[in-house]
Amino acid sequence: MNAARDRILASVRDGLLRAVLPDATDDRAGRWAPPDPALPRDTLIEHFGRALASLAGHLHRAASASAAADIIAGVAASQGATSYLSWDDEHLGCPGLLSVLESRGLPRVTYDVPGDPVERARGTHELGGVGLGLTGAHAALADCGAIVLVSGPGRGRLASLLPPVHVAIVSERRMWPSLTALVRAEADLLDAGSNVVLVAGPSRTADIEMTLTHGVHGPKHVHVILMP
Amino acid sequence: MTPRPTRVQLFATCLVDRFFPGVGHATVAVLERHGLQVDVPPDQTCCGQPAFNAGFVEDAAAMARHTIDVLSQSAAPVVVPSGSCADMIVTHYPALLADDPVYGERARALAARTFELSQFLVDVLDVIPASAPAGPSLAYHASCHGLRGLGLREQPRRLLRAVTGGRCTDLPDAETCCGFGGLFAVKMGPVSGAMLQSKIEAIEASGTEVVVATDVSCLMHIGGGLHRRGSGVCTRHIAEILAGAPHE
Amino acid sequence: MNDASLAFHRRIDEALADGALRRALALTTGRLAGGRATAMAALPDAEALRTEARRIRAHTIAHLDRYLDQFTRAAQARGCQVHWAETASDATRIVTGIARENAIALAVKSKSMVTEEIELNAALEQAGVRVVETDLGEFVVQLAADRPSHIIAPIVHLSRGDVARLFQDKLGAREDEVADIPAMTAFARRILRSQFIDAGMGISGVNLAVADTGSLCIVTNEGNGRLTTSLPRLHVAILGLERIVPTAADLAVVLTLLARSATGQAVPVYTNVVTGPRRRGAGPGASPGGEPDGPDELHIVIVDNGRSRLLGGELAEILYCVRCGACLNVCPVYRHIGGHAYGSVYPGPVGSVVTPGLMGLDDWSELAQASSLCGACRDVCPVRIDLPHLLLKLREQAARRELAPLWLRLAMPFFAAIATRPALYQFLGSVAARIARTASDEGWIRRLPGPFAAWSASRDFPAPAPRSFVQQHRANKAGTGAPPS
Repeated sequence: MNAARDRILASVRDGLLRAVLPDATDDRAGRWAPPDPALPRDTLIEHFGRALASLAGHLHRAASASAAADIIAGVAASQGATSYLSWDDEHLGCPGLLSVLESRGLPRVTYDVPGDPVERARGTHELGGVGLGLTGAHAALADCGAIVLVSGPGRGRLASLLPPVHVAIVSERRMWPSLTALVRAEADLLDAGSNVVLVAGPSRTADIEMTLTHGVHGPKHVHVILMP
Repeated sequence: MTPRPTRVQLFATCLVDRFFPGVGHATVAVLERHGLQVDVPPDQTCCGQPAFNAGFVEDAAAMARHTIDVLSQSAAPVVVPSGSCADMIVTHYPALLADDPVYGERARALAARTFELSQFLVDVLDVIPASAPAGPSLAYHASCHGLRGLGLREQPRRLLRAVTGGRCTDLPDAETCCGFGGLFAVKMGPVSGAMLQSKIEAIEASGTEVVVATDVSCLMHIGGGLHRRGSGVCTRHIAEILAGAPHE
Repeated sequence: MNDASLAFHRRIDEALADGALRRALALTTGRLAGGRATAMAALPDAEALRTEARRIRAHTIAHLDRYLDQFTRAAQARGCQVHWAETASDATRIVTGIARENAIALAVKSKSMVTEEIELNAALEQAGVRVVETDLGEFVVQLAADRPSHIIAPIVHLSRGDVARLFQDKLGAREDEVADIPAMTAFARRILRSQFIDAGMGISGVNLAVADTGSLCIVTNEGNGRLTTSLPRLHVAILGLERIVPTAADLAVVLTLLARSATGQAVPVYTNVVTGPRRRGAGPGASPGGEPDGPDELHIVIVDNGRSRLLGGELAEILYCVRCGACLNVCPVYRHIGGHAYGSVYPGPVGSVVTPGLMGLDDWSELAQASSLCGACRDVCPVRIDLPHLLLKLREQAARRELAPLWLRLAMPFFAAIATRPALYQFLGSVAARIARTASDEGWIRRLPGPFAAWSASRDFPAPAPRSFVQQHRANKAGTGAPPS
């Protein structure tokens, strides 16, 4: 393997001696920067809401755990979800939410994917009946209606991936104009977890006759609850 | 090019020379109408684009050197009634002859004073032709090399709108290639034919009576297809429209 | 013309005769190209972004050895296993090796062109691993034992009826399960969900790797990219060695253009970045203090397969490509013949350069002839690759290798010799004109001879003028010629 690596890198270096590479420079950083119109937060939120709606996502506002729980319970009821997967309470950005949901009679299913492959498969199959997934979010992007999820302890991937409904709690204070703006400010973002994912509305495809359909593999319904 | 030129050279192009001499005469007429003395160097032949596009760079370079010689007897600007041939001289000659100790510099010098016709009229002479009396409906096809090689987006349209009193419109999908592409038309005959078919469908959908473009290469291809179909639509070069060439 | 080139022309003829395919292509490419135009217009600085994206990719390729090295160390530091494959068979050997070591019986795959290039599925099947494509279009292609016809829209050539029949015949779907497109989609979701969970290995490509963190970015609209890289215990990512950018900021710039260029979306539904396998905690048990899910192992297979050789020449600029497919959607040739006709994993304008570049000129030079050099591709490329220029370079290489047809190899130098001798040029031109005019009728020639016969299949050819413009103009000036017409 190391021999292959050495040969490939040698071949690359050799190629570079003869490569015709127009506009290649040694400059590590260019002069481009994301445009910064410095829009007020309300305007960003409005842009986000419009972008999310155009993706068939839903935007809600809530100012308390109780209000957020109402929304979640309502979504669960309308989609026939009788249980949910969730990030741990301290990562949702809405302290106490999980106990409020418990008191509303919506049970949380916890899991921890085991190492053994057979157990892993069996355990994941058992999550098939869970109708809703609840997460927080690291950020929201106003120009495209996407939310940014970072995996970590207590912040699993499956909550936003397996169930047909995904509800994400996002703080208004984490509303960014664009991905380029966010990454410029948080250069270490990609290292924050094994998985950093931008989710822009529900899963979709137009593979069959260019006809748009939702909920192919990922969630079919995406709800974003914006909280102060 | 700050002082307004009084003299220009016409590089007619091989297709105009051999197949559409009327376009050459119309171009002379238009330029003379704007007070220019027009020289037609008699030793001009072909810019070498067909060889260049086929990858025969030595043959293309030979024709390029000849063309440079012919057009460098005088320092007058060169006007070309073809976007693709002008593009060949302006965009490709300098690169083609970059390593030539003599012709490299001469190619660059020629490129700096070579213009497609509508480009010359609008960007150099800044003319707005008077509107001609009513005539047949006209639709514009944007030839690719002029459009994307020379950036010939506005100039032909501006001239055509002015001379037709706004009558000239774009064809639907005006900027989609007609399928000529030089030898492409024979090397990839069936695909070229399919692209031509799309262009003809756009022409018929537009209901226009005349198709106009800056390149006789496109017009000969489109016109050949229209004629094969027995269509009444005819093709005109922009020089002919500007010179007030009568519609048959 | 050799067999491969003749086969290309045969495939073109078949494609042109397929009315359903042509209608589907026109609709699909029109929609995608239109979407791109709208999405780019909505950006405040689309042109500046394209220039910046080009700068990033050019810089990266120009220092590719450094960035590959940095990427490898960063990925390894975060728990990845990095493998290097010089050839396609090295790559498949590595992946089947990983599968064998882990007793993998079933693998799920999210769409990846490089895995098709190395023919990974066939190698895995031979090693006893069942491979399931999970991208809906690719899943259907796999069921039909077909090949995708477009990078972004793989089953543009199939109708809903075709898909319904496939699901019924191959998967035992009931009538109600294929009654309409939403039903078929839900059916596929259910079938594939099981596979995602049962699979021991998830295989993905990589849209772009990030050198400083050893991260892999995989974008999908369906979510199969996330499931493939999150559910199975093993994730194997196949990475073409040129698909890399230095930092997250660079990734963000390219991502801003990628979906817009490909489909007109501002952003794909899922932009999935994985940096190492699931992070372990320090305590005992499955993951106390660590992440609750994700793959336990992440293998990255860096593939050369001709890329470093391509790098060492005039075509190197094609390595800037980020595989958005925008060039396909605006190419008038592609719009008429579709992807299958090219006979390569990489069709369209980019494929016409990459395929001969990676696979060799002998069998693939004809792809570079399948262009009128209109330049529409260059206008839409997010990294401003000068595709017409690269096609011309390929044609130059082909001419030098004497791959051009004989008549052309004779005609070109002959024409050049005449065109550099003006008196001879005018004389022979007059002779040829006189001959041609005898074959003309009312100014038109219906049938051209020899290699030019292809013109006459769909068009008439104008008869040359009896006297050339240069001759007429000279005569006019001397006062002896006919007046200008």
